[in-house]
Amino acid sequence: MNDVVAAVLVGIFGITGSLIMLASAIAMFRVRDALSRINAFSPATGLGMPFIVIAAYVYDLHSSGFSWGSLLMAVVALLCLIIVSSVASNTLSRSAVLSGQPIHRKTSPNRLAQPPAGVIDEAERSED
Amino acid sequence: MMRLIHGISYVAYILWAIVTGSFTIASRLFVLREAYARPMIVELPLRCATDLEVTLFASSITITPGTLVTAIASGTATQPPALFVHALFEDSEESALEGLIAMESRLLAMTRGRAPRAASRDLETDASEGGTR
Repeated sequence: MNDVVAAVLVGIFGITGSLIMLASAIAMFRVRDALSRINAFSPATGLGMPFIVIAAYVYDLHSSGFSWGSLLMAVVALLCLIIVSSVASNTLSRSAVLSGQPIHRKTSPNRLAQPPAGVIDEAERSED
Repeated sequence: MMRLIHGISYVAYILWAIVTGSFTIASRLFVLREAYARPMIVELPLRCATDLEVTLFASSITITPGTLVTAIASGTATQPPALFVHALFEDSEESALEGLIAMESRLLAMTRGRAPRAASRDLETDASEGGTR
């Protein structure tokens, strides 16, 4: 791989990944509640960080040649980023809901607060 | 063998969903005239049966930018287990559920070797429509 191709690939992946991280950081300011912030953060871990890992791997491939060890590290890092970030987001959002964080008032419909029509038995409720 | 093909197509589908979802989150930043997001929490009755299917499906929903699992309700004798999904950019509850059910069908095709039968899917939609009426 010659120098120009390596530099262009590293640049494309590194800068795109950084811009995605920046975009999701700004998106976290544009939304209003904890759940939406956890939600708007997922491009950073799902796409931005993998791009930066790919950029680092291409740089490593160019500077020190191919080795199975660094390929294994890159693949494990990519898989772990995707799996860990989704499980961590699940845990964060569950604990945000269970700890009673306020949910933005314009969240509509909010099925955690309002069940669909027909689920609550109106006759039974009026007896209470 | 069919599972392998379905599995590869499912992974490609998830990666494509991550790319398009990230693009939506980034491009909506430049729309200044209206509110950035329309958050909603929808209830999705599950067709996934085993723990592996439910875990994979919840993780897939969460890794897709714009959708997030907030709670899981265990099933009862009359109702299937349900996921409560927080969505940021969907137009309506129906379109949000439609996208999630399409993803679930692909996931079940991967874990079971074939897509769930159309008859059971029709029953599902009938039941959910009856619930919202």
